[in-house]
Amino acid sequence: MASSLLASSSKRALARRGPAFAKTLLVSRPATTQSDALYVPGGPVYKGTVNDPTTFPTPSRAHTHHWSFERLLSASLIPLTGAAFATSPSVHPVLDGILGVSLVVHSHIGFDSMVVDYLHPRKFPVLGRVATWTLRTATVGVLLGVYQFNTNDIGLTELIGKVWAA
Amino acid sequence: MMSTRALHSLGSPMRKTLYSPSLARNQSLIRIRTTLAKRTVQTESLPASASVDILNKQRLLRPSSPHFTIYQPQLTWLASIANRATGGALSALLYGFSLAYLVAPGTFDSVHVVEFVAGLPDAAKYAGKALLAAPFAFHGLNGIRHLSWDMGKFMSLKGVYQTGYAVLAGTAVSTAVLVFL
Repeated sequence: MASSLLASSSKRALARRGPAFAKTLLVSRPATTQSDALYVPGGPVYKGTVNDPTTFPTPSRAHTHHWSFERLLSASLIPLTGAAFATSPSVHPVLDGILGVSLVVHSHIGFDSMVVDYLHPRKFPVLGRVATWTLRTATVGVLLGVYQFNTNDIGLTELIGKVWAA
Repeated sequence: MMSTRALHSLGSPMRKTLYSPSLARNQSLIRIRTTLAKRTVQTESLPASASVDILNKQRLLRPSSPHFTIYQPQLTWLASIANRATGGALSALLYGFSLAYLVAPGTFDSVHVVEFVAGLPDAAKYAGKALLAAPFAFHGLNGIRHLSWDMGKFMSLKGVYQTGYAVLAGTAVSTAVLVFL
C-alpha cells in the first residue's frame, strides 16, 4: 500500500519533469541487455546478468536408473574378470563374451563421461558433437571386432593369457 | 569635505566594475570556464544499455583464474584423475586392438600377436607387463574404493586417506604378482 502510494506519487513527480525523462526511467529494461556474440561458456562474459538464477536441466527419472546401471556394471566386472581367468575360455565362451561386451560398455561409458566433461557441446558445439558420434561409431566397431575375435579366434581372455605367458 | 565626497561618488562606479561581483561579469567567467573545461575533458552521452558492453569489454581483459595447478598435489584428487587416466588407457588398448582386428584380422590374429610378443627381449616383456598390470590393478582396486563411496562407506577424510593408501599398497603388490606370474 505504502509502496504503491510512493510509486504513484514519484511517477507523477517524474511526469512533471517532462514526458521523455519519465519514459527513460519508468520503462523497465529487460535483465538481458547484451550482445550474445561475445558469449563463450565458461568465459568471462555472462548471458544476462550476474543476478540471474542458474538454469537446471529438466529432471528425468531415467538418469537414476542409468546411474545404478553404471555401478552395477562396474561392480559385476570384478567377479566377471576373476571368473573368466579362473575358468578355461574354450569351455565357457559365453562368459568370455559377456566379459568382452561388459568391458566395451564400461569403456564406452568412461569415454562418454570424458567427452561430456572436456568437450561438452555447450562449449564445443562442433567438436563436442563430432567426438560424441566418433565414440558411438567406434564402440559399434569395437563390439563387432570383439564378436569377430571371440567367434573366429581364441577370445580375449585366452589372448591375454597367452600373451602373458609368451 | 565636499571634494572627497565628490571623489567617492565619482569613484564608486569604477569600483563597482572592478571589485563588486556583477551578474554579467560572473556569467562571462562561467562561460569561459565551461568552454575551457569542455576542451580538456571529453564526455560522451551513452544510452544505459551501453554499460553492459563496456563491462563485457572489461571482462575480456581480466586475467583467467588459475586452474588446478595452484592446488597442492594430494592423494584425494590425484587418485581420482589417475582412476580416469588408467581406465582410459586400458580402454584405448581394448578399442585399438578390437578395431585393428576388425579391419585386418589376418595381421592382428592371436597367432601373430603372441608371436610378436614372444620375439621381444625379456626386459621389454617385463616392462610391458608392468605397464599393463599397474593401471589394471590400480583401476580395479580404486574402482572398488569408488563403489564403496557410492554405498556411503569411508566418506570421512580419514576414510578417504586410509582407503587411498590401501589402494596404493594393493596396486604395488598386485603389479609385482602379475608381472612375475
